[in-house]
Amino acid sequence: MQTIATDLDIKDMARGAVFLGTGGGGDPYVGELYLRRQLVEGRSAQIIKADELPDDAFVISIAGVGAPTVIVEHLVSTRTLLRLLEMSEKYYGRKVDALISAEIGGANSMFPLALGARAGVPVIDGDGMGRAFPHLEMTTFSVYGCAASPCVLLDDSGNATYVHATTDRIAENMVRSVCASLGSMIYGAFYPMSGRQAKDLAVRDTISQTLEIGRRIRHARESQSDPVEDLLVLLNDPAAGRHARQLFMGRIVDVRHETRDGWHWGEVLINSGRGDEPEFSVEIQNEYLVARHRGRTVTVVPDLISVLDAESAEPLTAEMLSYGQRVRVIGYSAAPIMRRPEALRVFGPRMFGIEEDFRGIEELSTDSRL
Amino acid sequence: MRETARLGIDVGGTNTDAVVMAGEKVLASEKRSTTADVSSGVISVVDAVLKKAGVGPQDLAQVMIGTTQFINAFVQRRQLTPVAAVRVSLPKTDGIPPFIGWPADLIDAVGEQSYLVGGGSFYDGKEYAPLDIQGLADAAHDLRARNIKSIAVIANFAPVRPDIERRAAEVLLQTLPDADITLSSEVGGLGLIDRENAALINASLRQLSRSVVKALTDAFEKLGIHAPIYLSQNDGTLISTDYATRFPILTCSAGPTNSIRGAAFLTGMQDAIVIDVGGTTSDFGFLVRGFPRETATPHLIGGVRTNFRMPDVLSIALGGGTLVRFDGSSPRLGPDSVGYQLSQRALVFGGRDLTLTDIAVRAGHARIGNPAAVQSVDQTAVTAVLDRIHLQMEDTIDQMKTNSKPVPVILVGGGHILISRPLRGVSEIQRPQHAEVANAVGAAISLVSGRVDKIFDFAALGRDGALAKARKEAVAAAVAAGAAPDTVEIVDIVELPMTHMRTGSVHVKVRAVGQLATAGAA
Repeated sequence: MQTIATDLDIKDMARGAVFLGTGGGGDPYVGELYLRRQLVEGRSAQIIKADELPDDAFVISIAGVGAPTVIVEHLVSTRTLLRLLEMSEKYYGRKVDALISAEIGGANSMFPLALGARAGVPVIDGDGMGRAFPHLEMTTFSVYGCAASPCVLLDDSGNATYVHATTDRIAENMVRSVCASLGSMIYGAFYPMSGRQAKDLAVRDTISQTLEIGRRIRHARESQSDPVEDLLVLLNDPAAGRHARQLFMGRIVDVRHETRDGWHWGEVLINSGRGDEPEFSVEIQNEYLVARHRGRTVTVVPDLISVLDAESAEPLTAEMLSYGQRVRVIGYSAAPIMRRPEALRVFGPRMFGIEEDFRGIEELSTDSRL
Repeated sequence: MRETARLGIDVGGTNTDAVVMAGEKVLASEKRSTTADVSSGVISVVDAVLKKAGVGPQDLAQVMIGTTQFINAFVQRRQLTPVAAVRVSLPKTDGIPPFIGWPADLIDAVGEQSYLVGGGSFYDGKEYAPLDIQGLADAAHDLRARNIKSIAVIANFAPVRPDIERRAAEVLLQTLPDADITLSSEVGGLGLIDRENAALINASLRQLSRSVVKALTDAFEKLGIHAPIYLSQNDGTLISTDYATRFPILTCSAGPTNSIRGAAFLTGMQDAIVIDVGGTTSDFGFLVRGFPRETATPHLIGGVRTNFRMPDVLSIALGGGTLVRFDGSSPRLGPDSVGYQLSQRALVFGGRDLTLTDIAVRAGHARIGNPAAVQSVDQTAVTAVLDRIHLQMEDTIDQMKTNSKPVPVILVGGGHILISRPLRGVSEIQRPQHAEVANAVGAAISLVSGRVDKIFDFAALGRDGALAKARKEAVAAAVAAGAAPDTVEIVDIVELPMTHMRTGSVHVKVRAVGQLATAGAA
């Protein structure tokens, strides 16, 4: 068991969550403040390993669903989250033994921890993707047989509904409709699962990972060593099937953003020298999806792409990128559970309109320092 | 005929600068030390500059002042008033009450009293809960018992429904008739925490703003100046003294803004990068259509996050006093500087430290102090340092740019001698006259503005209809701030479509700017 007990831990976690958010997932600022509030009130978040749970334990995911602009206004209500927990226990007919994040990258890494601290429920060290994705069906839970629904949806005024969908793709559509009809901000309990399922289906240890990533960057800054080099040492673990590379370092020479059907589309072009000829590109669809060097793919979804400020190594979300910034791009292989054929059928390159088969970063980008 | 003469003043932390302008012309400028009481420094510099210009107090049509007094007080936690937050948001937001994340020394100075009551609206303006009148009345009684009078009222989605905050304030005033209330919708856009912080900062500064503004108006009274007085705000436009008294936070970063605007005026340029090269740092600002570009990311004021509009200024540790050292033949510049001690510590002034000013003198780009004192500095070393300076300047310019097109650069501040070569990515370099008082010039040429920052329903109104509505509201806000209606122009429109929302919801930001209406019309 591990505890999140200091402001420094929270800040490290938030930094790590933006790194794993691969450009999307939302700014964790609201979640960060909410978690900090729990510490101020003398609580702490308890994090357990999935293996510490009995197989027949009952686990759910808690997440905020809404537009980023609305979340920063409506914030979060403790009453709502406690009520959601209570309603879930009534609806599923089980006491909740542990919470798990569906999406570690971005804002929804923080809400389960804050609610867990408030309600005294432990949070499992893991999540359903080890990164950020925009849809309910894009989780290892969903891919390997633990559906997002039946789920419980609730707004701050007490309006509630249960969604029972035949597929998680349909659940996603239904949840979006409910969200839009309730002022574009709701909270939900998703993916009811057993302790056994949590052990088998989760991408493991991702909360610890956010902490370690955030901490490693901070320590490197304090000791004047190269944060990216330190980070690569931390992330590279070939025995566990994890590979990390610095894909590129340079200056942003163009950023294009547009919104298509409620999605954030875009592309960022980077150049290593002093000219404006783009050498490196990252395509964005809410998250960074594919990185190409002179047109050749070097990392592609579900492997992770993170863009960091070249100086401070602060991870940057897609909204934060602008012309002239000096950045370093890191590629990081997704956990092996994210790369199996059944997983790639849900969140492989073709699901995002990228017409190529998935190939891992270790194959695409052999040179670790381009 | 001197009724077009204007007085521009910049009350900084160290110096108080003044200029007298007539039309487009700078008649005279002066610089004095800022005094603790503000007014005696102002009186001394104004007296001097009017004499120099040959202008009488009665000849002035307007007085424009930029000041860092309020931001300095907030950063140093001086003269702040205890405040309370009244947030109209339940059943929402109870998880993150006001003052979360504020530095402890600031809480010590202003307290952390807060109340959450029912009310607020969705992004589309529909109320999700009725305003809790009883809750507000209870809060007011508690505030009276605690003798707290500086209050910030913050409602959910107040930029879309400012009337909810106004109604809440009315209820509070029934019990607290002398309360000093800041509405969040008056000081910030979307983003409740950042807007709430801005409102609380403003509330904590109001008492100070009254005394500073009074010190200024008293000073002008003594000088026999009866022209209307305005203060510059962060975006380079003016507000009345009355408005500044109510919204001191609006003046918090007028300093850099005025310097950028002043540089624009002195060169006649509308789009350029302005570099203010001082003793310790070089501050880079971006001039876009005559105004400073503002930051897009949240801004910290004295350790508190706000969504406040601030000029996007990038500072690097490179100035006339920057110390030069060598690792073998490779020079290292700063980041430390001799700062205000330049005139004692630099080699050319008989000191013992090699500074960038010494390098500029050795290279023959400036004639300051005793050039003989730097004759022993090796030429190749000088070249290496100059290479480094220009490279750093070029890199920073590049970071400020939004595309690769070459831009003009305007140099202000005493350290401009450090730049002696053409810069890559720069189309031309301007060094205007009066650059040392660019701040005060910026104050003297200010305009007035109005803004809108809201979510509009394009599906219901149509894009054209919604934008027309937004433009109209921005123009009305500019006129309310003192602009002559026939001079108001829209200078900026930003549309941000939103995800997870009903199709057609668009976050729109519009800014309108106009010339100050003449005293007679105002």
